[in-house]
Amino acid sequence: MAVLFISPRALRGAAVTIAPAMVLAALVLGIGVFEPSFLSSYSLLVLIRESSPILLLALAQTTVIMLGGIDLSVAAVASLTSVLLALLLPQLGVLGLLAVLLLATGIGAAQGYVHVVAQIPSFVVTLAGMGLWSGIALSIAHTSIPVDEGYAVVGWMESTLLGIPVCFVFGVGGATLLWLALRWSSMGRYVKAIGLGETAALLSGVPVNFVKVVAFALSSLFAGLTGMALVARTYSGSPSAATSLLLPSIAAVVVGGTAITGGFGSYGRTIIGVLIITVLRVGIAIVGVDPGYEPLCYGLVVVCAAALTIDRAHLSVVK
Amino acid sequence: MTAPVLSVNAVCKRYPGVQALDRVSLAVGMNEVVGLIGQNGSGKSTLLKILAGLVKPDEGSVLVRGRPFAGGFAAAASAGIGMVFQEQSLILNVTVAENILLGCEGEAVRYGFYDWPKLRALARRQLDKLGCDIPPEAITGTLSFAQRQMVELAKSIAVEDRVGGDPIILLDEPTSVLDADDIDTVLTQIERLRSHAAIIFVSHRLDEVLRVCDRVYVMTNGRCVAECNAKEANPAVLQQLMLGTQLIEEYQRDGRQACLVEEIRLSVRNLRCRTNYQDISFDLHPGEIVGFAGVEGSGRESLCRTIYGVEAPTGGEVLVDGREVRFRGPADAVALGIGYVPSERRVEGIVSGMSVRENMTLAHLDVVRRGGLIDLGRERSLVAQLMQRMNIKAPSPNTLAGQLSGGNQQKVVLAKCLISEQPRILILDHPLRGLDVGAKAEIFRQVRELAASGMGVLLIADTLEELIALSDTILVMRDGRITARFQASEHIPEPIEILEHMI
Repeated sequence: MAVLFISPRALRGAAVTIAPAMVLAALVLGIGVFEPSFLSSYSLLVLIRESSPILLLALAQTTVIMLGGIDLSVAAVASLTSVLLALLLPQLGVLGLLAVLLLATGIGAAQGYVHVVAQIPSFVVTLAGMGLWSGIALSIAHTSIPVDEGYAVVGWMESTLLGIPVCFVFGVGGATLLWLALRWSSMGRYVKAIGLGETAALLSGVPVNFVKVVAFALSSLFAGLTGMALVARTYSGSPSAATSLLLPSIAAVVVGGTAITGGFGSYGRTIIGVLIITVLRVGIAIVGVDPGYEPLCYGLVVVCAAALTIDRAHLSVVK
Repeated sequence: MTAPVLSVNAVCKRYPGVQALDRVSLAVGMNEVVGLIGQNGSGKSTLLKILAGLVKPDEGSVLVRGRPFAGGFAAAASAGIGMVFQEQSLILNVTVAENILLGCEGEAVRYGFYDWPKLRALARRQLDKLGCDIPPEAITGTLSFAQRQMVELAKSIAVEDRVGGDPIILLDEPTSVLDADDIDTVLTQIERLRSHAAIIFVSHRLDEVLRVCDRVYVMTNGRCVAECNAKEANPAVLQQLMLGTQLIEEYQRDGRQACLVEEIRLSVRNLRCRTNYQDISFDLHPGEIVGFAGVEGSGRESLCRTIYGVEAPTGGEVLVDGREVRFRGPADAVALGIGYVPSERRVEGIVSGMSVRENMTLAHLDVVRRGGLIDLGRERSLVAQLMQRMNIKAPSPNTLAGQLSGGNQQKVVLAKCLISEQPRILILDHPLRGLDVGAKAEIFRQVRELAASGMGVLLIADTLEELIALSDTILVMRDGRITARFQASEHIPEPIEILEHMI
């Protein structure tokens, strides 16, 4: 008879690794007890469709956070992208989409460049970026611009694949690509090294500045994709399209268990974190909490979820 | 010996893959200085951490003044145990007074606010005990390293006022990073402290241990293998005990290369950098070890960092293989086959949160890359080879580098430079700092082998003995200028000759 022996230490490690998934499962089941219809495939599909823009935005944020920085400009870039798409899609179609995504990537690279060359903290550079890009979006379009001609270029994101919303599949696919790229390339190793010990990384000859610029460019590219998903969702572009998604996207990364101080984290964790955040927002309403108390409940549960999901074994201090 | 103030009885501590302490027993009497020696990784630091309340033993007991010691930092403080850490634990941007009384301000805090004059007076009292004239209102970061070590000492003896009795003071290598003069000051303090404290003193320098200690315990592989009276012991005997059956390699160098190859690997011409150093010129040949002598502030560290591309020079030129280079950063230097072993091992040498394997390939991922992606299989086998060749002791290649002992960490840093096929210039900044005899001898031997294989080495050593033993050419620097050159093939200088040009 084979006896399966697992050391308590390994068991604890495993528990910490799957903690975010367990919290998600507990939340979904808990809400399901209050409102069994919540567990129907229909409402679960609505839920993941709802989570897709935050997912793209949180993925944008994850690489930068793993480096130990933060990108506050993602929502503004997403909004600006949505406005530009609304203007360009009717005339340029696919070409317009590519141009706008390229521009978004360039914006990120520029922010990264300013951050590393002028040695200004990423928090400040991207805070300035947030004002700048949303200001530009606002000066181009004071209100939302509807899209009808050329909508098909982005409209596919709103369709479903085997019943699953394409925008969510797109987000998970993006996460998988990022994961593969970081797992097998020097870039991934460099990101980890910079997040955990930037001085040692620099003195080992890691091209620290280049890695940072790439991370910020990637971040803005995913912010651009978020803008595209929002245009598909709302048939319009608006200078405030993504504004409300900024803080939830950061919260999602942290609740997923990625260290806000950098060095430790993964895209898979971010996916779970995004689902937790979305389930919370939707679930609190479903359970029947008085709308006046919704923010209060949301705040409490986010703290509790983070308390359970953050893997402190990898952190010497929690800041 | 009077009744022991501190006694450790059959204490065991296991970490994954290592038995850090194996039934260790020792006792310290009042007014006694007890030395604790052993190689890196022999369990000294773990034992001290248990006594400081930072780590709990798995088995065994610790008695302080006859009462069982519960463990925990607060319990240690209230039992009158103070510790001076190997790596300083001072906060650099606050005043000396705040540091000394941190966490036990007592009457210096009124209604939650500092009573500054009171705080300074209390700190002054601790400093006076040491006969030390550092002003308590000075910002700690402005002090020299040696002065900071004095502040650490003052902080550790502050516990005696709180418990109203004589303290037990744990000194974890308080001298490992000090210059000769400062070491003398610290040792004098320790001797003075003896009259009102029980002291455990850990050091790698056996002459120091024999000078200040009454008794010496020797640890090997987590066990206490010997206890001897300091008056009857001599360094050679202690070394033999520490190393077990290993042979002691003397700092002797045979087969010095009388004539070097003509080829010049690195050439520095009239290099200068602001006020750090001026007009530095020298050549480095393949297989040559060029050692820099100088006190802190002589510019030798800054010079090495310039050659590695960390600091930009303000004039002059650097030629590698006859071609002028201008590095925009360390990455350019690494690409040309220059390796650098920094002096701040834990912060600059390794990424402590990454595994040994990831650390070893960090500088040269190109070696293990295939088609743009990392070939993990190749990485594992290369790392395994190198770990064996360099005798790196780690439970597995996936162990976090921060968990290794100092000597093994240093070997990882060295391995990082050697993993590329063609490292051609190696810059060693205090490569033996804080290492025990065994690890020192090993790194020492490896550096010699590397030079013999045709690498050019620039060396900054901790002591002149090490420098003389290793270098083919010695350049002495003072106030940013080269003041003397010695060629080992013509004349092997005595330390005193070098010293004359240093200060």
